[in-house]
Amino acid sequence: MATPHELRIAPLADFKPIAESRAWVSIPNPNGVPLIATATSEKTVRVYSLKNFTLHSKMEGGHNRSVRAVAWKPVTKRTGTLTVASGSFDSTMAIWRRKEEGGFAAEVADQEIHLENGNGGEEDLEVEITIDGQKKAAPRLITSAKDEDEDEDNDDWAFEIVLEGHDSEVKDVAYSPSGQWLASCSRDKSIWIWEEIGDEGDDDFETIAVLQEHTADVKCVVWRKDDGNGEVLASGSYDDTIRLWKGDDEGEWSCISVLEGHEGTVWKLEWEPEVSMNKWCPEREKDDHSPRIPRLLSASADCTVRVWSKVPSPPPPNKPSYFNSGIPSTMRPPPANETWECTATLPTVHDLPIYAVSWSQKSGRVVTTGGDSKIAIYEERTKGRTSVGGVIEMEWVILAVLEGGHGPYEINHITWCQRYDPGKKTADEEMIVSTGDDGVVKAWSIEEIIGAANGTAALAVTGATNGTEGVVEASS
Amino acid sequence: MLDNANPTILSVSELPTRRQRRQRKEQPKKGGIRDMFYGKPEWEMDPYYTLDYSDVDSDDSAIEPIDEQEIYDLIAPISDPEHPLSLESLGVVKLQDVHLISPPNLTNPAALSRVLVELTPTVSHCSLATVIGLGVRVRLEQALPPSFRVEVKIKKDTHGQAEEVNKQLADKERVAAALENKSLMGILRKMMQPCMESLESE
Repeated sequence: MATPHELRIAPLADFKPIAESRAWVSIPNPNGVPLIATATSEKTVRVYSLKNFTLHSKMEGGHNRSVRAVAWKPVTKRTGTLTVASGSFDSTMAIWRRKEEGGFAAEVADQEIHLENGNGGEEDLEVEITIDGQKKAAPRLITSAKDEDEDEDNDDWAFEIVLEGHDSEVKDVAYSPSGQWLASCSRDKSIWIWEEIGDEGDDDFETIAVLQEHTADVKCVVWRKDDGNGEVLASGSYDDTIRLWKGDDEGEWSCISVLEGHEGTVWKLEWEPEVSMNKWCPEREKDDHSPRIPRLLSASADCTVRVWSKVPSPPPPNKPSYFNSGIPSTMRPPPANETWECTATLPTVHDLPIYAVSWSQKSGRVVTTGGDSKIAIYEERTKGRTSVGGVIEMEWVILAVLEGGHGPYEINHITWCQRYDPGKKTADEEMIVSTGDDGVVKAWSIEEIIGAANGTAALAVTGATNGTEGVVEASS
Repeated sequence: MLDNANPTILSVSELPTRRQRRQRKEQPKKGGIRDMFYGKPEWEMDPYYTLDYSDVDSDDSAIEPIDEQEIYDLIAPISDPEHPLSLESLGVVKLQDVHLISPPNLTNPAALSRVLVELTPTVSHCSLATVIGLGVRVRLEQALPPSFRVEVKIKKDTHGQAEEVNKQLADKERVAAALENKSLMGILRKMMQPCMESLESE
């Protein structure tokens, strides 16, 4: 069936200079600092500027094997310090810090700092955690030898601390939106949850939990924003399952749901952003103040991208449905087993493992990539009601497919990213950033094709591109 | 202890090959695309290990596409990790188990070719099936152009843990991590040695 695509994925820029070997993943700073961090098999993290697509700085010397994953610590206080966690095939995680005197930090200080944690502030951080030291493996902490030169040199990333504990390759690392937790996962089948204790810069980390219920490599971890019931962690595994994890009031973490259905490794997970939740929840009862549960997207080696939704649990007897809202944390019920079901599968584009999926916080659109080097953009739309007063049915449509994004090389990661370069057309324009086996990190602009619905593919914006390779498929 | 102390050995001279013809055309090439792909692997740093990356001349491939025979010739001399014998003489790799799907349009640089190699382990409980499969995958990924997507599987009904082995061999992250493992690289290096020797004897 010939469906004209509505968007064009146009090459915008390659970040220069490129890594000399495979790049795994590129993560934009979540707090509006125009930087993106790339984990490479060169054993380094490269930080590129989003203003001019050039190398800004490097994190070197912390790992002796490939750096597989990288995560920015969300800024909750204006400290002027950037913090990054990196995870490596050398089975360790490293914490890096960099002072930004008068640099990016000053710019950020001028803006309202965007907290991923929308519930506003430090009260949320005062969750009491009881640590049962006997039950949990003690973390081994090694503080790096900092010589005086390093302290004086503000231009470099300081290698602050190594977090050891995993038995084999670390596959992913993730800070919770509040910045309170740091999760790491590994081929050793475990997920570790760490908490930074003391003041920023004390470099004191405590192991809060070691979760070992996956039966094979844990490939990815991703946190869900606190909706009033605590932050939830989702993990995807080589055992083809997805698990959801939550801590109770005593600080005990446990698996609250197992999502089964994929027929291959689950490579990447992404929680639904607020923009999408707001778009599709117009039908809520006016007195229904219970927290909305975001959906979860999963990308797999079985070449599918699936949408998972929580099956609503009936409200407890004699209590209104909103009984969860506004009740102090000490009265919260313990985490219960939740039931999740696959409620949609995105239209098929990929014919090799899908390594990455990103759900835009601005547009609600989804982008995927994988071993077939394709980049695809999807959007969820209403199909309308099938019966009077019935549920509005939704469908996912393909907006664009680009083949050979990195020439013949596999693409390992893709993400939506705010544009900061002078060429942007609107203040909040978004682009896509892809990361490949060729070591290249590429920026792509998104252009609307006017008249796509009529089959006349005229470009709305021709946009200045510096013509690199990339076979663009405007319609199929 | 050997998994299979008395394997059936085929006579290499009777096996199909076009190795001689292709190798004559090969020119040493440094800093090629595969260097970019893999960076500088540890065994390349080793002065005693002269791995020649120019197994397939990319200029030729535009005119004369790579076929199953050529792919077979790349992996046939790989030596078994526990016998001083090649995978072809042990019957682990067979020409009829090399499958290639080429894109319809070879001029499109982004069009992908798909290679599937099915291995027949010497015994159905061969504990080294994963290592052999890894050797075959690594050999092909290094020797073939980057537009080739290589899949290595255990042939149906020839191994007890075929599914587990197949899944590991298909996992790019596990393969990448394995290549950073020194002891495993030592084994792979030994397995690849005959591939290099057959070049040197030219």
